[in-house]
Order: sequence, then C-alpha cells, then structure tokens
Amino acid sequence: MSLTDTLPLRHKPAAALVVGGGIGGMRAALDLADAGLKVYLVEQTPCLGGRVAQLGFMFPQHDCVLCRGTADHGYGCTRPSISPAYIQHNQHPNIQILTNTRVVDAAGEAGDFTVSLRREPRYVDIQRCTNCGICAEVCPVTLPDAYQLGMTMRKAAYKTAARATPDAYSIDKGPYCDDCVKCEQACPTSAIHLDEQPRLESVEVGAIILALGYQIYDAAELEELGYGRYPNVLQALHYERLASRSGPTEGAVIRPSDNRQPRSIAWLQCIGSRDQKNAFCSSICCMYATKEAILAKQRLKDVQCSVFIMDERAFNKEYSAYFTKARDTHGIQYNRCRVSAVSEDPSTHDLILRYTEANGKIHEERFDMVVLATGLQPPESAGQLAEMLGIGLNKHGFCETDKFAPLQTTRPGVFVCGAFSSPKEIAETIIDASGAAAEVMRLLNDRLNTYPTSREWPFLSDTSGFAPERDVSSEPPRVGVFACTCGETLNEHLNYPTLVQQASQFPGVETAEILDFACFPEALGHIQEHVQSDRLNRLVIAACSNRTHESLFQRMMRQIGLNPYLLELVNLREQCSRVHEGQSGLANRKALEMVRLAVGRVQLAQPVYKKKHRCRPSALVIGGGLAGMTAGLAIADSGYDVHLVERSERLGGNLLDLYYVVEGVNPQRLLRDLVNRVRAHQRIEVHTRTEVVNHTGHLGYFITGLRTKHNGTGENFSVEHGVTIVATGAQEARQHPYLKAPGVITQHELEEKIIHQPEEIAALKDVVMIQCVRPENTPEYCSRVCCTNALKNAARLKLFNPSCRVTVLFKNIVTYGFREEYYTEARQLGVMFVRYTDAEPPQVYFDHNYDRLKVRVRDLSLDRWLDLQADLIPISTSIIPSVGSAELARILRVPLSSEGFFEEAQMKLRPMDFMREGIFLAGMAHYPKFSEEAISHALAAAARAVTVLSQRDSLYLGGVVAQVDPAKCVGCLTCTRTCPFGIPQVIHEEGRIGVGGLGGAAFIDSALCQGCGTCTGECPANAIQLIHYTDEQMMMRAIGGLGTWKIPVISEQ
Amino acid sequence: MTMTQSEKTFEPEITAFYCVYCGYMAADTAGALQVQYPANVKFVRMPCSGKTDVRYLLEAFEQGADGVYVVACPLGNCHHVRGNERGQARLKRAKKILDEIGLGSERLDMFFMSGSQAQAYASAALTMTDRIRKLGPNPLKDEGRRMKDEVKAPLEEEEEADFRGRRIKKG
Repeated sequence: MSLTDTLPLRHKPAAALVVGGGIGGMRAALDLADAGLKVYLVEQTPCLGGRVAQLGFMFPQHDCVLCRGTADHGYGCTRPSISPAYIQHNQHPNIQILTNTRVVDAAGEAGDFTVSLRREPRYVDIQRCTNCGICAEVCPVTLPDAYQLGMTMRKAAYKTAARATPDAYSIDKGPYCDDCVKCEQACPTSAIHLDEQPRLESVEVGAIILALGYQIYDAAELEELGYGRYPNVLQALHYERLASRSGPTEGAVIRPSDNRQPRSIAWLQCIGSRDQKNAFCSSICCMYATKEAILAKQRLKDVQCSVFIMDERAFNKEYSAYFTKARDTHGIQYNRCRVSAVSEDPSTHDLILRYTEANGKIHEERFDMVVLATGLQPPESAGQLAEMLGIGLNKHGFCETDKFAPLQTTRPGVFVCGAFSSPKEIAETIIDASGAAAEVMRLLNDRLNTYPTSREWPFLSDTSGFAPERDVSSEPPRVGVFACTCGETLNEHLNYPTLVQQASQFPGVETAEILDFACFPEALGHIQEHVQSDRLNRLVIAACSNRTHESLFQRMMRQIGLNPYLLELVNLREQCSRVHEGQSGLANRKALEMVRLAVGRVQLAQPVYKKKHRCRPSALVIGGGLAGMTAGLAIADSGYDVHLVERSERLGGNLLDLYYVVEGVNPQRLLRDLVNRVRAHQRIEVHTRTEVVNHTGHLGYFITGLRTKHNGTGENFSVEHGVTIVATGAQEARQHPYLKAPGVITQHELEEKIIHQPEEIAALKDVVMIQCVRPENTPEYCSRVCCTNALKNAARLKLFNPSCRVTVLFKNIVTYGFREEYYTEARQLGVMFVRYTDAEPPQVYFDHNYDRLKVRVRDLSLDRWLDLQADLIPISTSIIPSVGSAELARILRVPLSSEGFFEEAQMKLRPMDFMREGIFLAGMAHYPKFSEEAISHALAAAARAVTVLSQRDSLYLGGVVAQVDPAKCVGCLTCTRTCPFGIPQVIHEEGRIGVGGLGGAAFIDSALCQGCGTCTGECPANAIQLIHYTDEQMMMRAIGGLGTWKIPVISEQ
Repeated sequence: MTMTQSEKTFEPEITAFYCVYCGYMAADTAGALQVQYPANVKFVRMPCSGKTDVRYLLEAFEQGADGVYVVACPLGNCHHVRGNERGQARLKRAKKILDEIGLGSERLDMFFMSGSQAQAYASAALTMTDRIRKLGPNPLKDEGRRMKDEVKAPLEEEEEADFRGRRIKKG
C-alpha cells in the first residue's frame, strides 16, 4: 500500500509501545498506564526483569527492595518486577505484556504509529499454566541455565526464575529438543501446545519508548586476562550470581576450580571501558566492584580483597561514603593501576597478577580468584532496531540524543531511556524511564486518561460495571470453604474429602467443597452459584499463594457482589502440600488447622473501602531554574495548571550563569527558549520573588501558603494544588581559605572571565586548577559536575592560548559515560594532570622571592613535591544545597540526606518521589547534576505528577490503614516517633479529645497511612487499630487461633 | 544425646508470624522449590513485621503454642523502611517477659531472610522444631502440664539448669 496524502482520518491511538521489559521499561510502562494510556510492553525473552533480576544486591545500601519500586503495597515479594502491578492476576489493566516478542517494523509518525511485532511461540498458555512443574520433571533435555550463567542446569521446559513474570513455564524448542511431546502429554491443564507457530501482529500506538538496556562486554576479547581459559577468572555478573541469595549457592561465594572459599580476590576495573576501542566510561563498575568486595568481606572470613582501579568514580548520593566505608571499615585495598596481564599457576589454579604501583615499582601478587569488572556495551539488537526504526546511533553504538533533549531519539515520537542512551545505573534508568513517559504524556496530551482503569478497581463500587456490593452487616456469618486440588496435583499428599468433611463441621461454615481449578473461569462460576444459593457472605479458599492469587479471588468476590476483604486464602500448595512429603498425617492436620484459622478469621472480617478523593488539577513547582521550568512545562503541556514559584526575581537559576558546555551547544539559547515558553504558557502562572510559607494536605489536595516580596513589603496568599514538585537546585560553595588568596577564583568565576574578559584569559601563561575543594565542616561527597566543568574550561584556555600551561590537581577524575572523551581530549591538548591525596593537600602560597603565586603539591607518580607557578588558580568547590533547603524540608515534612540535599523515597527505585506521597523531587535539589540529567529528572517528576493529576475525580486513598480511637489516646507521641513515614500527628480539633479531657489526640490521615501497622504494636494505650488486622483478627481469641492446634494428631498411616 | 520417650511422641505446635513481603515469600519459594520442613507450623500473616506486638506473641503462648517465631525481611531491607527493626525490639521485650515468668525466651525467636531463601526458611523451621522438641510442651496448656508431670525428671536435669543459669546472670 502506498501512502498518499488522502489517508482517511482515523482514530488516534491512546497507547504507547515500550520496547524492553527490564527495570526501565517496566517503570515507563507503569507511569503511562497510570496516566490512563494503554501500554504494550514488549520483551524478547520469556519473562520481565532484565539485568536487574540477576542482581542480588544494589549498591550502596545492599538491599533488594524491588518491592519498594512504587508506593503501593501488594502481597509479598515483587521480584523481579518493581511493583505489585506486574504480579499475575494483579497486573495493571492498562499494561499488556508481550513476551518472546520483537519489533519488526514501525510505520507512521509521532502520535500515530503502526508497529509490527513478531511473537515467537512460548508453547505454554500462560492463562492455563499452574506452575506445577511437571513438564520440567518429564523433560529429558538438560541445558545450562543462562539465568545462573551456566552454573546450574535447567530443562528445556523451564521457568527462568521461581518468581518470573509472567508466572508460567515456557518450552525452549531449540535444536536440542527432540519433540518427545512428554511435556505436552504430562501437562495436567493441557496448557502446552508444541505446534504453536510464530505470529505477526500489529499494534497502533502514539509513541514508542526504547528501553533496550545494554549487553555486557565480552571479556574473552582481552585474551591476556585469561577469561574463558582460567577457571577462576570470573566476569562480574558471574560473581553477582554467586553472591546472590537467589543464586546457585544461595549466596556462598566459592571459586569454580575447586568449590573452595577464596582467601583472596582481585577486581580488575575498566574491562572494556576507558580503552582505545571503548573510549567511554561504563559509569557503574567502580560502584559494583566495591559492592562485590564488601559482600566478599561480609561472607568470607579473613578474605583479602583488592581492587585495581584507575579513578574512584563514586558520583552519586552517599557513594563517596560507601567507598570510605569499603576502605576503612572493611579493609578493601584499592590499587591505582591497570593490570596488563593475568597468568595462572596450573597446579593450584591460583592467579598471578603483575602490576605497576603508582610510583613505578613492579609487583607480583597471587590471588585465589579474579573478577573482571566488565563494562557496558550497546544492546545487541541496537544496530538492527535503529536501522529499522530510522533512529540515529552515536559513534559508540548507543542511541543518539541531544544534550538538552536527553530522552528523544532522532525520530520524533520515539523516545529512549536507560543504558541504551549511555551507560547508566538503576537510579538513572528509573529517572530516564519516568522522564520518557512524561515526553509521551506531553505528546499524547489529548488522550490521557482514555483508560481510567487502575489496579484499585476491585475496591470500587461505582465504576467498572460491577453489581452493587451486598450489605452483609446485618447477616450472621455464613462461610463457604472451597478447597482446590490444583488439577489433582495437591491431593497426592492431602486428603481432600476428609478436609472438606471436617471443615464443614466448623462453626459458621455453610458449605465446603472440592474444586479442581479454583482460578479457572468455570470454578469462579461455580462459587458464584454457591454464594447465591447458600446465601454465603464470607469465603475461605484453600488453594495457593496469596501473592499470586489473592487479587484474583478478591476480584471474584467483587464480581459476585461481596466486599473483597470478606475472603481468606489458605495456601495449601506452597505452605503444605509441596513442603511436607512423607509426613502426610501431619500435613493433613496442618492443612485442616490452617483452614480452621481461616474460617475463624474470616468471620471477624469487615468490609474495607478506599475513600474517593477529587484531585485538584494543578501542580505547585518550587524553584524556577532548569529543573523547575522543565517540569512545569511538561505538566502544563500535558494539560494541567502549574504554579511556578521562584524566590529571586528572574527565572533561570544556575542556567543564568552557564555560558557554554563541553558538548558545544549553547545553554543560553535553552534558557531563552524555556523562559519564553514558560512566560507565554496559558497554564503556567509564574510567581517570582515568592517563597513557600506553609504546606498542608495530602496527595491530590494540598494547600500552600506563599509570600511575595515587593520592595520590602510582603503579600501573603495561598494556592490549592494536587501535587508538589521540589526543584530548588543547588549552588557552588563560595567559602574556602584558598579563596582569600589573590588570584584564586572558582571555576564558575573563570567561566565568567572567559566569556567577558577573553583578552585577560589569553594573556595567562600558567594556570593551576585545584579539584575537590571542600569547605570546612561539610560532608565529603563527589559533586559530579566539577571534573567535566574544569576540563571544559581547561580546553578553552588552551584554545585561547595553546602555550598556556594548564595543570589540573585532582583526586579522581570523574568523567563518566561519554564525558571520558573530554578527558582524553584535554590530555591531547596538553593539559597536565597531577593526582594529590587528602593526606597531602595542595598548598597555595605567595613566593616573595619571585613575586609569584605558587602551588605546592606532592605528585604521587613522581613521588616528590612540585612547586607550580600560577597566574590564576581556579578551584572547583563543592556544590552545596540551596540556602533554605532545611527550612523548606521542615515546611514540607520531608527529610534531607546526610549531605543536606533532599532525600528521596528510595535511592535506587524512587529517585524522583518523596516518601510523602504527592511530593516529587527534581534536579539539583536531589544531588548535583549535569543539565541533561536535571532535565531527565524534572521530566520524571513531571510524569509522576501527571499520573496523579490525570486521575481527576477518582483518586482512591485509604483502605488498610491505621485508625486512632481518640477516646483512648493519652497523647504520649509514641506513634509520631514510631511511624517510619512520620504520618501521625497529635492535633487539637473539635471532637478529638483524649483520655482525661486531654486537649487533643493522635490523628493518622487515612490518605497518607501506608498500612504497615508499626504504630499499633507500640501504642501503650492500645488506641490504634489497623483495619483488617485488628487485635481480634490477629489474636483470634474466640477460636484460640494462635495457640493449641484443635485438630488431633492423626497417626502416620 | 538419645531422644527421650516424650520427645518422640511430642509433636510441637508452632505458630509463625510472617510479614507479607520477604517472610511470606521465603515460605512461598520453599513451596515452589519443594524444600521440605516439618509440618508443625501454622502461619499468621502480618502486613509488616513492624506489626509484631508483644501482646500477640504472649497471647500465642497463653493460647497454648509450644513455640512462636517471626519471619521478617533482612534488616535494612524492610518494605516499610524499618518495621522489622521495631518488630525485633518488641520481640526482645517479649523474650524478657518469657524469661521472667519462667516460660523461657528460647521458645520465641525471629528470623530474617530474603524472599528467595527457601533453604534459610526450612532451616529456621527445623531449628525451631528441634529446640521446642527438646523443651517439651508449653507448660501453660493442659497437655503440657500432664506431660511435664510424666517426664519431670529428665526435663529438670537438662533444662532447669539452663533456666537457673540465666536467672543468675541477670542477678
């Protein structure tokens, strides 16, 4: 078909395609789905999770907490996904996961693409697979398990990991499969169809997000390191699996040649990074190697860990402290060199490293194990996909982006996030992902909220076409017990007829039945009939895991007109049948006891509702710099009002004084463009010279008091808004003893001089730059941008006057990602670099003999002191939080990090959220950032804001939350101290009178409470109850549920 | 050490509180991987181990549980930031009370594990079973009183010394 200009006008798709099911793709899809767009999430492997699924721990907190990737609280562990929204049966209704799928073509234009997909067969029907594992048991083909990097074996019928999403097996019908069809025959639910064929499908979407991730550098290319030849030379991911709790050894680190615990391990950095062929820095290896070394120290007694490193690149929040901890607390040795070759002692398989120390001495050292910190490479499919989609790649093969549009590819409507655009860690990927979602929301602003469904829907009674909920409050409990055999697989160990017969005798039980597959539609219909005929008002379903199936049965409850909380699920499968082989008497007893508990507990259950709120359709953005303006524009472009508050009289923030950047583009043009767009935007109201005075309310409805200053007088007013964005930025520290000397200026002042007094700059003969200058009494952290900034200015000096001697005194050069090029370029231009240490910091002094300013520094590589002449000494001082950050944090009731920056909800997975819902974080208020990073972060915050704002009239809050009985409260403030989220407050309000006429009582806002119940256990007056987990429901006194088993021991026959 | 007659016939009745995150998941993974453990534990769910309440733990013993334990996320890994630390603090308080009333704090314990650690969960279940089997039935329940009379001698020999030891230490 040829495209003509007379194409019929057609419906515009309110949908987006996300390519890549790793952490970035999942995050982007979730934000788009929450904004009411349909999302096709395409993944080429059989399950979601990507690289992160293989990592056991994240630096620097050594946590997993993928379950904290979103604010919602689902049942159980969400790994490998980042939210309960990806757990089967609880999946976001707007997201369609397409596994084993590749994009083959994308026609059309921004706002209206037709994308062709090739879907490879899985051979297993996800809807019918019950994860019984029989297919894998009967499968005769054994293969190395790629998820465990070949350290364990799997069958051709397999599941990538125990908790894969989608939660189903798949058949790997590679050449090794001999079509024995045993799996197909053995499957109890007939879920396997070995004759399934690949299919071509097409979807219509308005935008595409590429979240392809990266591939790991193949260390075998560097033959001198022996990877692939020496068994004890490992690649980093290999080590990661060994140290992971879900790895082949449940976390025990052993060396492959003899399965013995290593006594010494060496990490070699920059493998496939920062070399001739890969002239970029992979950004994450310094940190992950440190993490791996700490893990070794924590698990292996007396292990010696050495890291062979060039520069310590720890350029994010608390990363510097992490390195310090590694070195000082754990005793990890850092050697500043690159190891050129590894050899092996063939008798012991020990490894011999030969390296040069900083001072030139050659050393030889033996290690039990060597881990290669392999770098990041563009994803395998990048080239082909780029060609097919018509997007540009940069010279390294990563996606080409513009500095000031970091999430846009060269094709309009196609966006990029994560490591596909440049090597990135998890937090940056998450920021990018939400940011790319914001770009899509902006593009499809006329279609937001087309699919206003959310995962809240089982709890709604007025939408989604459910029958009205039956009021059961006046009915005595009538319980129905349904025991599922999971297709006759569970009754091998459990006696179902006896179970239901005895269950039917429990008080309150009206009916007890056996079902074959409780989760299949037929059974749901059967249960519904029973509910109607026996007038049941509470159900106990004895089947499988709450984690995977509770939401399914809750939805079923809602469909049959009962509140979803009048249900108890007993996990006979994972907690009984499959774990008590050979003790059938006891297992049957346990099953019955657990059903007894459930029957008792469900009779205490009361309906739980979420409260409906109206969301104010506007945002408050605090800070009018790059991040604030970018976030404000993205929200306004998506169709919501914005109040942009700026303390000074001009918009622009730090961008006002940024004249040029290392990449060569003009930041002043960006500034003009942003200011013009902000000023002209109908939806943005700019309040300059204005500060925040107070801030109250909750997600969806905040009231903020503002104060505008006019010539000494002030005017107070307040605004109502649904969300708040903090974008207050950061600033260069201007205080240091160095600055007292004449001729010492900050890098920022140097930039001003370069622009405004070029002739003065051209006359300079000797310039010494000092990096990492930290004002006294401030915490040590890497300010991230100073190295690149100094290099940019150094290159300018060389351009003006090639004979000018420029020396940079540094501790570590932190030019991560593609910025490494500018480091290389500076060295090529003849800029000299001298490393100094904290023990011997450079000294600035005035040499009266020669009437010259000088810098004295100890050069580590020459091992002697140098006295450098200097006409000018530009120093890079720390970037510190904006003045007033602490005060603003107090007003907003959000925390600050140890460095004084605003502290996000979760460092890795929620870098743009605060723990207090409805408040988001953007730009340098979070940590020092480059402009492209601030833009991404601002867009990410905007995306999160729009997901809230787009819910307009249907924001549902509350549910399982803590409630205070004011009549019992003694106002002791224990709850306010206990709550991990700082939600309870003791307030004075009419009707809230505590014990003994106390003038107030604790109040827990149901719109804020996260439902953990931590306060309830601590309240000395026992005045707080958690809904659905009340004391009575927990202690089950009526049936003696916590103690003696009321089921007699049946003899083991 | 040979098993006494009562240890052989006595089947502990254990109550386990778990948080719905890692705690629940560890037991779930044990099921998925078919890792075996004794069938003498019943599960009570909590939204977070921060919900652990001294009253619940003591109530379980009062209702006759022979042993009680809490399964929580690894420290530092709590979904609710530090619920597991609060839970641990309360559990320690409950242990102290158990010692004071002579029931013995070893009947109560807390385990921290990640959701993927099926083996860790199974070994926690085994540890508790072995320990409770040795301690014998909860003396607060009828059966416990009866059995304690029957097996008085060996129990006193082995375990009372332990109790006394602890009391002396406290001074």
